[in-house]
Amino acid sequence: MDLINPAVVDLSRFQFALTALYHFMFVPLTLGLTFMLAAMETVYVVTGKQIYKDMALFWGKLFGINFALGVATGLTMEFEFGTNWSMYSRFFGDMFGTPLAIEGLMAFFMESTFVGLMFFGWDRLSKPGHLAITYLVALGSNLSALWILVANASMNMPNGAHFDPETLRMTFDSFVGVVFNPDAQAKFVHTSVAGYVAASMFVMGISAFYLLRKQHREFAARSFRMAALFGIFSTVAVITLGDVLGRLDYEHQPTKIAAIEGLWHTSKPPYEPWIVAALPNDAKQESSYEIGVPFVLTPLITHSFDTPITGMIELEEAAAPRIASGITAVSALRRYEENHQAADLELFRAHQDDMGFGLLATRHAPNQDVTAIEPEQLQNVIEQTKPDILPNVFVTFWSFRLMVFLGMFFFVLFAMASYLSLKNQLERNRLFLKLCMWSIPLPVLATEFGWITAEAGRQPWTVFDRLPTFMSASTHGVSYMLFSLAGFTVLYSIFIAVELYLMFKFARLGPEAHAPHDDHADPAHLSVVAH
Amino acid sequence: MIILLRFAGLGLALVVALLFAVFVGDQGPWYFAWAVGTVMIILVAAAGAVLFDAQVEQYTPEGEF
Ligand code: HEM
Repeated sequence: MDLINPAVVDLSRFQFALTALYHFMFVPLTLGLTFMLAAMETVYVVTGKQIYKDMALFWGKLFGINFALGVATGLTMEFEFGTNWSMYSRFFGDMFGTPLAIEGLMAFFMESTFVGLMFFGWDRLSKPGHLAITYLVALGSNLSALWILVANASMNMPNGAHFDPETLRMTFDSFVGVVFNPDAQAKFVHTSVAGYVAASMFVMGISAFYLLRKQHREFAARSFRMAALFGIFSTVAVITLGDVLGRLDYEHQPTKIAAIEGLWHTSKPPYEPWIVAALPNDAKQESSYEIGVPFVLTPLITHSFDTPITGMIELEEAAAPRIASGITAVSALRRYEENHQAADLELFRAHQDDMGFGLLATRHAPNQDVTAIEPEQLQNVIEQTKPDILPNVFVTFWSFRLMVFLGMFFFVLFAMASYLSLKNQLERNRLFLKLCMWSIPLPVLATEFGWITAEAGRQPWTVFDRLPTFMSASTHGVSYMLFSLAGFTVLYSIFIAVELYLMFKFARLGPEAHAPHDDHADPAHLSVVAH
Repeated sequence: MIILLRFAGLGLALVVALLFAVFVGDQGPWYFAWAVGTVMIILVAAAGAVLFDAQVEQYTPEGEF
């Protein structure tokens, strides 16, 4: 079998990364703002105070802009699996297709219907009725994210499926196994609450902008208060679930966790430091300029003081027998495909857990055919395949650190914001308000780094330990890929430009354009903000 | 009769919610934590807003808001 042109694989990866990262500039706000709107509207329904309705209306309008563009950017991605990743879709479509289809239904039916009712139902529904719709929008948008994360988790930790040698694809065993996959749970909660963090920062930052300009102060101070409290609890949740994800990686994706921690050699507990910064060199398989905090890594990752974490060099060594076993599995499968001999099937079954490693060796086999490997060539092929099991350490290490550093920063910022808001000392801390305003894009940036950690760290696999990325793409030409890449880049950049233009425009206009009765502009009324 | 039916309906909803909590809490503890945590975050943010109103009333002349 001819392998797919590596340039096409790289371009397909680049295109997917680009579209996914663009799409995820919109998603976090949608996930979080909906629940914040629900919180604002809840206060409106309970207290009957008009200002909370104004808040729900104004932030709802900004949510609407973001939602429309987010849906547009998400649509293309669903098709990309078919167009650019057809080998992957063939191998894993049974598993991946189900959650993706449910996501489509959720997004298009549940979310869109309720979004319409939320925007146009203010005068047509009772107060509690409208509130229920807002909650359903929030639930719907988060549930559609759930299905995407269920699908993504099954690529990282393929629970509830097995490989079928008759059909040559992964077959769905258990829906419950897929949905309740521990990785899916942790990924969903981490990503959903990351959205809450992004929305809190968005509302807090724009409110800080109004407070700095002494505009819409009543509105802004209340929005700020709600966003700060929403944000601090969400940040604690995102960090907690980050820890859960790290532990799951340690248990199920040892190469990913070793790359995340820049751990070339097996750790020496309990002293092993947590590396704060370093320059990992993938080619030399070592890191320079390491700065670490001793005694932190072992309890952080293993939740114990004496369990070693296997390093990348040792993982490479440990992969050698799996590569040999995988070559046996793939060769037996090929023979079984041709002759349907029970002995070949039996041999395959004995080695099937390592099949992915045999596929990984394909690149280094004579004529890219593992069945053609002569016994004297085997060791050479294994040696060449061993380094392929590792992801790009530099990218994984730094994207993780940037996400974590940002997470720590959010914790401090939201804690201070909550404190200052509760103590009514916001307006005298202008520098702090400016910091809040400039921090608006940071949570979105953190989510992008999160996705880079998750996806770059999963390499060289699309389906962890089962299907290598270089075998997953479609057999397009390079020019086709370049053309579609350019098209996406232009189109998505236009979407981002439109989003930014509209967001700036409506944020500058402020809530008054919307609700004329934010009329207590007299600062005396707002001594509470300045005390 | 209507009150009785309402109680029965609410009771049924409670049982369903409890069964849901037991099942999801068992099978998907993080999903359960998400549901509970989200409700809690919303309530805390809402309480913060109500507290704000109380503070405003305390600091400003009576009947302002
Ligand atoms: C501060 C502590 C944090 C830790 C320990 C942490 C940990 C992790 C880990 C280990 C992954 C990779 C999961 C995988 O193997 O697939 C990940 C992914 C991710 N992180 Fe974080 N994270 C933290 C903070 C944040 C923050 C502040 C955000 C955004 C506001 C964020 C957003 C994401 C996203 C969107 C992903 C990709 C989706 C996923 O795999 O769940 N993380 N995080």
